[in-house]
Amino acid sequence: MMVRSTSWRMPFPVPRPAMNLVYGLVVLLLSTSAIAAESLDFERDIAPLFVRHCLECHNDTAETGGLSLTSHGRLMQGGESGPALNKEPLGDSPLLQRVLDGEMPPPKENKPQTITSEEIDLLKRWVAAGAHWPEGRVLDPYERTTEARAGRDWWSLQPIERPEVPSFGEADSSTNPIDAFIRRPLSERGWQPAPPADRRTLLRRVTYDLIGLPPTPEEYAAFERDESPDAYQQVVDRLLASPQFGERWGRYWLDLVRYADTCGYERDQEKIGAWKYRDWVIAAINDDMPYDQFVLAQVAGDELPNRDESTVIATGFLRLGTWNDEPNDPQEYKYERLEDMVHATSTAFLGLTVKCARCHDHKFDPIPQTDYYRMASAFWAGPIEPGDRQFLGGPTADALGYDVFGWTDRGRDVPPLHLLKSGDPKHPLDVVEPGQLTAVTFLDDSISPPPEDASTTQRRLQIAEWIVNEQNPLTARVLVNRLWQHHFGEGLVRTPNNFGFNGNKPTHPELLDWLADELMHPISQEPSAISQRPWTLKRLHKLIVMSETYRQSADHPLYDEYSASDPGNQLWSRSERRRLDADALRDSLLVASGQLDLTPGGPGFKPTIDPEALEGLSKKSGAWQASPPEQQLRRSIYTYLQRSLLPPTLTVFDQPDTTLPCGQRDVTTVAPQALALMNNPFVHERSETLAARLMEESDSVDTQIEAAWQAILSRGPTAEERRAAVAHLESQQQRFEEQLEAPKQPRDPDLAPQLLTEGLTLHLSVRDGITTDDQGRGESWSDLSPAGHHASQPNAESRPLFVDDRLRFEGRNWFALDGQLLTSQQYTLLAVVTDHGTGGHRGILSNWNGAAGNSTLSVFLGLSGESTVRFTDAFGNAGSVTNRNQPFLLSAVSGPYQSTVQQNGELIGSQSTIPERNLTTPWVIGQQGNINGEYWQGDIIAIVAYDRALSDTELQQVEQWLMREHGIEREVVFPADPAQLALASLCHVLMNTNEFLYVD
Amino acid sequence: MSQQTHFPCGQTRREFVWEMGAGFAGTALTALLAGDGFFSQAHAGERPLPDGSGSEGLMPKKSHHPSPIKSVIFLMMNGAPSQVDTFDYKPELEKYAGKDLPPDKEFINSGGRKKGFLTPAWRPFRPGGESGLLISDYFPNVRKHADKLAVVNSCHTDSHAHGSALVAMNTGKTFIGRPSLGSWAVYGLGTENQDLPGYVVILDKRGGPISGQPNWSSGFMSAAYAGTLFRPTGTPILDLAGPEHLDRKAQREQLDLLARLNHEHLSSRKGGQKLVDRINSYELAYRMQAAAPEAVDLSQETQQTQDAYGIGQQPTDEYGRNCLIARRLVERGVRFVQLYSGGGHLEETWDAHESIEKNHGRHGAEVDQPIAALLEDLDQRGLLESTLIIWGGEFGRMPFSEGKDAPGRNHNPYGFSMWLAGGGVKGGINYGETDEFGFEAVVNPVHLSDLHATILHLMGLDHELLTYFHQGRNESLTDVRGKVVEDVLA
Repeated sequence: MMVRSTSWRMPFPVPRPAMNLVYGLVVLLLSTSAIAAESLDFERDIAPLFVRHCLECHNDTAETGGLSLTSHGRLMQGGESGPALNKEPLGDSPLLQRVLDGEMPPPKENKPQTITSEEIDLLKRWVAAGAHWPEGRVLDPYERTTEARAGRDWWSLQPIERPEVPSFGEADSSTNPIDAFIRRPLSERGWQPAPPADRRTLLRRVTYDLIGLPPTPEEYAAFERDESPDAYQQVVDRLLASPQFGERWGRYWLDLVRYADTCGYERDQEKIGAWKYRDWVIAAINDDMPYDQFVLAQVAGDELPNRDESTVIATGFLRLGTWNDEPNDPQEYKYERLEDMVHATSTAFLGLTVKCARCHDHKFDPIPQTDYYRMASAFWAGPIEPGDRQFLGGPTADALGYDVFGWTDRGRDVPPLHLLKSGDPKHPLDVVEPGQLTAVTFLDDSISPPPEDASTTQRRLQIAEWIVNEQNPLTARVLVNRLWQHHFGEGLVRTPNNFGFNGNKPTHPELLDWLADELMHPISQEPSAISQRPWTLKRLHKLIVMSETYRQSADHPLYDEYSASDPGNQLWSRSERRRLDADALRDSLLVASGQLDLTPGGPGFKPTIDPEALEGLSKKSGAWQASPPEQQLRRSIYTYLQRSLLPPTLTVFDQPDTTLPCGQRDVTTVAPQALALMNNPFVHERSETLAARLMEESDSVDTQIEAAWQAILSRGPTAEERRAAVAHLESQQQRFEEQLEAPKQPRDPDLAPQLLTEGLTLHLSVRDGITTDDQGRGESWSDLSPAGHHASQPNAESRPLFVDDRLRFEGRNWFALDGQLLTSQQYTLLAVVTDHGTGGHRGILSNWNGAAGNSTLSVFLGLSGESTVRFTDAFGNAGSVTNRNQPFLLSAVSGPYQSTVQQNGELIGSQSTIPERNLTTPWVIGQQGNINGEYWQGDIIAIVAYDRALSDTELQQVEQWLMREHGIEREVVFPADPAQLALASLCHVLMNTNEFLYVD
Repeated sequence: MSQQTHFPCGQTRREFVWEMGAGFAGTALTALLAGDGFFSQAHAGERPLPDGSGSEGLMPKKSHHPSPIKSVIFLMMNGAPSQVDTFDYKPELEKYAGKDLPPDKEFINSGGRKKGFLTPAWRPFRPGGESGLLISDYFPNVRKHADKLAVVNSCHTDSHAHGSALVAMNTGKTFIGRPSLGSWAVYGLGTENQDLPGYVVILDKRGGPISGQPNWSSGFMSAAYAGTLFRPTGTPILDLAGPEHLDRKAQREQLDLLARLNHEHLSSRKGGQKLVDRINSYELAYRMQAAAPEAVDLSQETQQTQDAYGIGQQPTDEYGRNCLIARRLVERGVRFVQLYSGGGHLEETWDAHESIEKNHGRHGAEVDQPIAALLEDLDQRGLLESTLIIWGGEFGRMPFSEGKDAPGRNHNPYGFSMWLAGGGVKGGINYGETDEFGFEAVVNPVHLSDLHATILHLMGLDHELLTYFHQGRNESLTDVRGKVVEDVLA
C-alpha cells in the first residue's frame, strides 16, 4: 500500500482568508442540532481544542491506544479500550471523563499539559449537546498553529504579498522603501534613527561588507575628496563589480552548503575537484546569476535541458557532506546520506528543518514523516548504494557525462523508498512516492514520473522547480533574509536556517515580504549597469547598502536609553559593530603586510599548520604537506579544508565545523583567539614583513610609525599614540639589544650537558683520534667510546681532508667502520656536520648494502634535495634543515613510540616507529653504504651513536653537550636587527587592536 | 517555546560571552591608564569594566542536582581492549577452547577477518581487594584498587569500526559533527579555573585516534566548548608562546600598549561590551601563558610521586606523565581531562588483531602502574571523592581468535567492559553480564548512551535536561536514548 500524503490535506483547497468563512457556512448548513449548540461553533471552539490537545497522539498515523480523533467516523469508532463516546449518557463518555479525571492530555516530557477550565467547559457542553461534528470535516493535526506547534497557517508558509511601502512623516516617494519600513516603527515610538556614519567609517563598512577586504589608502582619499552626491553610489557599483565580491559572498554560501575539500572520517579522502564547485559559486555570484538558476543548477544541474559542465559541477552541492567509506553498516549508512542531502537542501533553500521528520512527524512544524521520505526519494535515486570506494559515494564520470565532482541519478527507474519506522532502516514500512512538502498548501505537491526518454528520475528537477516557483512562500523570504543578515549582522528573521515554529518570527514581516517580492518582481527600477531581471541579487544588495538604515552610525546619542528597551537592536535604530570573521581577519593581515595575493580560483592551498596541531591525526607522517609559502598568501576562501584538520587559526575565530549547514557563524571572544593573534607564526610573519618593508622605505622613526598606522589602521597616529609608539620602540629595541648580547641560555638550565655512556656505541670527534696522511687527509678516526668502532680509509684518494678542525668530505670521500654498530631496533644517531650538497641523496652514516640484500631495510642518516633529512627509507621526509653551511647538530631517534629528527635540539620531523631494519651489514661514513655514490658533501665534525633510544631528557643532555663541545649556538630565531624587531613588535600590537578587528 | 535569539549554528547570543574573572578587570589598569593621563578621568570613570560576576559561558554553573564530582578523567583505551582478557572473567572459555561460537550468535565480522575459535583469556584472573573483583594479570596494579571500581561488564555500542565507534564513545553517535562528552560537561557546568582550558585532551605520542578532531569537537556548539589538545611537555597549548625574542617582559610591553590603544578606541564608542570582552581576553591569555606550562611542570612533584607513576622508567614514562598531569589539572579546577592510551593504527593502539598477549602485554604495561598511581594519589589527596575516573575503549573484542592458532581477536561491539571510579561510584562491584563466552551483553545491558547518561548523572547533570537548541531541535548527548545505571551509584 502506498501512503497517501493527501490525507493530510485540507478536505478541499481554499484560499486561507476564506477558510474560516467556508467552515462557518459548513457548520451552519450541516449542523443538525443548531439549537442545542447555538453558542458552540465547531470550527471556533472544538476543532482548535482537538488539534491543540488531542491530535498529537490521536491521529490517523499515531493512533495512540487505537484511537484517532480526526473525523466523526473515527471518533465513533473508538479505540482499543472501547468507544470514546457513550450512547447514553453522553456525559459519561470516556472522551470527556478522561479529561475531567486529569488523565488527558497526559504529561509531555514530564511536564503536565494544561487544558484550561474554559476548554473543559466547551468540551463538556459540546458532548452534552450531542457531540456534533460537521459532516465530512476531517481534522488535521497540521491545519492550524497551536501553543505547541506550527500548523500550515504558520506565517512563513503563507503566500508572499507585496505590502504597501509605508508613507508617514518625512517619508516620501524618494525614500528608500527599506528606510520607510524600518523607520515607521521607530517613529511610532518617537525614536530617531542614528545619525549617518562618517565617510571613513561608511567606506570601511561597505568595503568589508561587499568584498571582505579593507579599502586601500587611495580609496579612502578618493572617497573623502569626492563631494559629488553619487560618490557613495559609485563606490557601491565599483564594489559590486569587483571579482572579490563573489569571493566574499561565496564564502557565506559555502558555510551554508557544508563545503570542505575532503570526506572526513578515517581516511578523509580528498573530494577531487570539489574546488570547482567553490569556483562555480564565486563565478555565479560575480555574474549575478539569477537565484532561481542558482538553485536549479545545484539541485538538478544534471537534469536541466540546457545542462553543461558548469551546471553539473553545481550539483557538487549534493555531495559536499561528509562521507564515510567504512560505515558500521553500509546499508544503513545510505539513510544517513539521505538525511544529509535532505537537510542541506531544505535548510539552504527553504529554511526548514525537514530532517527532524526522519523518525516521526515533525514535532513543531507541519512536516509529516511522509514528507521527509517524499523529499528523500529524490536523492534516493542517486548513487547511494554502497559501491567502489574510488567514487567516494558519487556517480562515475561516465554517468555524469563530465569528469567532475557532481551528482546524478542511477537511472530513470530506481527502487522504491520505504518509510522507516522511527527512522530505523531495520523497520521499513510502506513505499513512499516522491513528492513535495505538503506544508505549502497552494502549490502542487506531486512529482510526476519522468518522460520515457529521460535518463534520470527528474525528481530533483521537479523539487528544484518547486523551490523556485514564485508561489513558494519560503525560498525568496529565506534568501532575502540571508542577504539582510550578512549586511547587518542579524537577519530580519534572526534564525536564518529555521523559519519554523522554533525559529524567530520576523522583526519586520512587511519589509521581509517586500524584499522577497522585489526579488522576484523587480519594480523599483533605476538606470544602472546592474541587471534588473527577476531573481538577480546585486540590485538587492545595492538597494540595501544604499539605504540610510545601512548607512547610519553604530553609535547613537540615545544609545543607553534605546538599548535598555531594545537590547538586541531589533528595530535597527543604529548600525551594529561587528568583528571581522576568520576569513576577513586573515585576509586583512595579508593586506596590512602588503602581501595579499588576489589570484582567483583553482585548487586550494594548504596553510602551514603547527606540528602540535598535527598531533591529532591518526596518521602523522606525510598527512599534511603545506603549500609553498607564496601560495599561502591567497585569500582565505581558497584554503584547503580538510575535515579532520581544519586550520586552527581559522576555527579559533569561529570558522564553522563543516559537517552541517551553517547560516550564521558564531562570534565568540575567547582567550585562544588572543593567543593566536599574539603568538601564531602567521601573524608574526605579517608584522615582521611589514616592519622590514617600512624600514626599507624610510630611516625615520616618525615616518615608520606613521606608515605602520596607515598600513594597518588606514589612518595616521594621534599625538598621544605617536608618543606611546616611540616609547614602545625605544623600550623594545633596548630589550632586544640586551638579548642579543646576552649569552644563549640552554633550553633547560637545570639539565647538565653530558655525554651519557649507557648504550654508547660510537663517538667520533675531530677533537681527538684522527690520524692524517702526508697530504693532511684523514686516514683513520678512532672511536672514543669503549665499543671500538674505529673508522678508516686505506685508499688515499677516498680520504677526507682534515682542515680547520674538520674533516672535509668532498667529491668521493668516505670511511669504513669496524664492526656492528647497532643490535637494537631502537637507536639514536647524532652528527655534527655542515652541508653544501645540491641535488640527490648524500649519506652521513649508513649500513646500506645492495649486494647483501639490504637496499630497503638499512639504517642511514643523510640529506637529499636541498635540505631534506632522510632517516632510513621508512622516514624519507624527516624535516628540513636550515643554515646548513654552518655546523649543525642532527639527531635522529628510532624510539619505541615514534621516530624523531632534531636540528640543534629543535624538533624538525616526527612520525610513528621505524619498522624493523636489517642491522647486519657493514657500516660506512660519508656515503650511502657500499653504493660508491651518494657521497656526503660537507664537513663532518662529530658522530655519536647509541644502541638504544635516548629519552627526551637524555637526548637534550647529549645534544647540549655536543653543541657546547663544538661551539654550536642555538639558532637566533629571528636574526633581524633590534630596531626592526621593535618596529615589528609595534606593528604586531596594531594588528591586535580592536580598531583593526572591529568594523563600526 | 522560546523567542529568544537563537543562533542556528549554535547558541543564544548570551552563550557566546566568555567573560573573564576579576583579575585585570578591576580598577587597577583603569586607574593606571587614567593616572598617566592617557585618556581622561571622565572616560575611565564612565565605563567600569565588568567584574566577571554573572557571566556565563565557561564560568562555573550550577548542576542539576548535587554531586561531589568536580572533574572527570577519561582514560581512553584507544583501539579497544579485550574484555575477556582484562575485566570480564569467563571460565567457560577454557571448556570451549578451540570450539566455534554457537551459530545462533550473530555478528558482523568486522573488516571481513577470519573467524577463528573460542580462546580463553591469555593471562590469569585473580581477585583483588576485599571485594575480590576478578581482574587479569594485564592489570596487576589496578587490581589493588579493585574496591574503588565499578566494572560494567555489559557495555555495548553501535559500531564495529574504530572510526565511528570512537566518535560514538566520545559524542554519542557514530557520525561526526556532534559535541563530545567533555563539551557537554563544560557546557553544563562551566569550568573552575579560567586560566586553563576547561576541557583538555592529551593524545598518545604515537598519534591521534581515528577520525581525529571530531573526537573532541564541540560540534554544533560554540568552539569555546571544544577540547583543547594539550602536550605533556613545555608549552602545552597551541600558540602559547611567540617567537623567542618576545619574552614575557617584551610581551607585557606589547599588551600594555595594546590596552592603551584599545581603551582609547573604546572611549569614543558606545556600548562597547564586546570590545571590553576582547580587551579582557588578552589578560586571560597572558595568564594562561603562565598557568598552562606550570600545570605540566612535573619538577614540582617529589621524586617519590614521580616514581609511583612510573615516570622516568619504561614503558610507563609517557602515560605516567599524562596521569600525573591529569591530577595536576584536576587539582587546578579543569573540568574534563581525556588521556588517550594508544595512537595511530593497529598494534600501536589496543587493536590486538595480531596477538593479545603481545599487544595487551605492551599496552597494559604502559598504563597499569600509572592508572593505579593516579587512583592512589587522588585518594590520598582527598581528590578521588570529587573526581570521576572512566576507563575503557570504543568497543571490546571477540572471545574467539582470528584463525587457528592465531593469537589475536577481532572487534566486538556487542559486549565489553568499562569501569568507573571516584566520587559517587559504588566501588568493588561488577555490573551486568555478558553471555558465558563474553560475546554479548545479556544481563543488564548498558548501551553507550546509558553510560553517558550515568556519567552526566554522576556530574550532577540530567542527560534529558542538558540540552542545546540547534536547528529547530533540543539536542542532547544521549538523544532519545540513555538511562542512568542506578546500580553503580554509591
